[in-house]
Amino acid sequence: MSDVVEMHLKLLFDLDNLIADTEEPSYKKMGFQLEEEASLVLIRKRNELLQQLPKEIAQIYEILKKRYRQAIAPVESEFCLGCFQKLPTELITRSQNITTCPNCGRILYWRKK
Amino acid sequence: MNLASLLSKDRVNLSLKPGKKDDVINDLVYSIKKGNDAALIVSTLLKREELGSTGIGKGIAIPHCRSLAVEKLEIAVGRTSKPINFNSIDKKPVSLIFLIIAPPQDPGNQYLITLGKIVQIAKEITKKNLIQKAKTPDEFIAMINEIEKSLTKRK
Ligand SMILES: [Zn+2]
Repeated sequence: MSDVVEMHLKLLFDLDNLIADTEEPSYKKMGFQLEEEASLVLIRKRNELLQQLPKEIAQIYEILKKRYRQAIAPVESEFCLGCFQKLPTELITRSQNITTCPNCGRILYWRKK
Repeated sequence: MNLASLLSKDRVNLSLKPGKKDDVINDLVYSIKKGNDAALIVSTLLKREELGSTGIGKGIAIPHCRSLAVEKLEIAVGRTSKPINFNSIDKKPVSLIFLIIAPPQDPGNQYLITLGKIVQIAKEITKKNLIQKAKTPDEFIAMINEIEKSLTKRK
């Protein structure tokens, strides 16, 4: 995955979490200002980002998002934080292209140390 | 989880450089992360601001979001000597900023609980006129601790 694609994908993911949080009742009660059209604006923005992604990545993302609330899972000490399964060694050494968890299918994300 | 325990004094900047809203957010984020991670957090925070300012009024703002770029809940505090425009709900400029970033995976929803707590504490700070009170980061954290204790007692 190129840096630009990776950045788009991560921002898309952050925006989807933002949309989900603004819909939480406990969030709404806090009294933050939210434009009436807020979620529509965000949904438009996230759809734009989705279209900028390579088609296959966009498709995988959307399928995963329907299946789980969060399509991307960080990797921590060789574990997928989506399903908490240990990842096979051959996967850990590979970091090019889009990689998904063999157990849950989520897109894996390695944090830079 | 105690809010004061989530604050560290090197993340409490009581002489934050005043500037444009975006620059101030940027400076605070870079005290937490660098490079692409910081860029992602800033983008997401600014998207949140587009929905409505997180300036809650009376001089305090609480920019917040979840981001893939952090592994745990991160908080940075900044106070500017000169109030800055934050497009706040009451149109008043802001001089105290609590910035909070949470990871996407967040067992027990610590993020929303902490965010709610910061909102409550911020209201106490404005009510008692404490924005400029602390002289050092240690004093600031002690003050937050005091307020938090008094709020817990009240319940
Ligand atoms: Zn998994």
